Amino acid sequence: MSANNDSDDLEALFDSIAASSVVAPEPLKSVAPDPVASSNADNDDLQALFDSVAAKAEVAPASPESADHEGGSGEGWPQQEAVFNRIGHMARALHDTLGLLGYDKLLEKTVSALPDAKDRLAYVANLTEQAACRVLNATDIANPLVDEMESGAKALGERWDQVFANRMGPAEFKQLATETRLFLNEQLPAKTRGTHAQLTEIMMAQDFQDLTGQVIKKIVALAHELESGLMSVLIEVLPETKRTEEVASLVNGPVINAEGRTDVVVNQEQVDDLLDSLGF
Amino acid sequence: MAADPKMRFLVVDDFSTMRRIVRNLLKELGFTNVDEAEDGAIALQKLQGGGFEFVVTDWNMPNMDGLTLLQSIRATPNLKHLPVLMITAEAKKENIIAAAQSGASGYIVKPFTAGTLSEKLNKIFEKMGQA
Repeated sequence: MSANNDSDDLEALFDSIAASSVVAPEPLKSVAPDPVASSNADNDDLQALFDSVAAKAEVAPASPESADHEGGSGEGWPQQEAVFNRIGHMARALHDTLGLLGYDKLLEKTVSALPDAKDRLAYVANLTEQAACRVLNATDIANPLVDEMESGAKALGERWDQVFANRMGPAEFKQLATETRLFLNEQLPAKTRGTHAQLTEIMMAQDFQDLTGQVIKKIVALAHELESGLMSVLIEVLPETKRTEEVASLVNGPVINAEGRTDVVVNQEQVDDLLDSLGF
Repeated sequence: MAADPKMRFLVVDDFSTMRRIVRNLLKELGFTNVDEAEDGAIALQKLQGGGFEFVVTDWNMPNMDGLTLLQSIRATPNLKHLPVLMITAEAKKENIIAAAQSGASGYIVKPFTAGTLSEKLNKIFEKMGQA
């Protein structure tokens, strides 16, 4: 990170920070910042520095002109100096990153787009729920129709079996022929039409995909912009040791991308294998 | 299958669509006596009311999640015998191990098929028959 910054830049930054943020009750002599030393400061130091600056920011700020002095007489303020130094590094990193990469504008745009994204996601949730309900309703209507077709055909078939087994009188046969004709000409077509209508309904319920697809693409683009912007800032600002920490949780939702991960299963077979291997 | 078709199920999921799908699949398998709960807390209340013989639960739910529900069931003397089948999108190995160690009777990872549900139910019924 900022270890390569030259002292002049840092000093200028320190000056500007000191000048813009504080008014001193008495002059403070500053030591020229040593970028290498301060970028090696560990997290605990950083935390301690933040604590100390939070406690003292109101009562003991540095004066604007103090930073002009090189080296020397700031012995009473070593803590504050280190804090300003550190904050200077961070502010510089943040500012440079955002500015150089154009993220200042981008982040501004992104933040203003977030409420819109929230509405869009609600819209997606709404449409997908509606679609799920339409499909389930359609299957609720179509299932009995199919059942009736099956049972009607089966009943007629059994009676025709009796005809072929010579176990049916002429009157019964006539009745069967009439009923079969009715079944084939009216009942069956009516039920297949009804089923067909529900299949069409199920098909049409998928129209949400077009709409949600567009909305989701926009939100993914937005999230991507936001992520890469924030990531660059974080990489600049976050101490090395903090970068690799993972959040351990048992409530993560579906795995979106399992590639390269060994801590997740991708199908039921793997669930079963895992449980078997553990003796469950 | 030896299972009683009158067996009373409780389906626990915060999404009504998923409850409806599980209910429909159970109906296909011949189980029509199904009640629903939208989170672990409501489920536990219903279970304590008595009369249930099988619990199918999601993991990630508000108020009380599925793992806590499972642990609560196993810690309650009059409920601890109940078979609990988890149907969840949580696919980390840690999750599966945690569920198994907490006494889950089965673990199905979403998205799942009717065949998987049928297979897991039968496996649980077999075990119950042996016990």
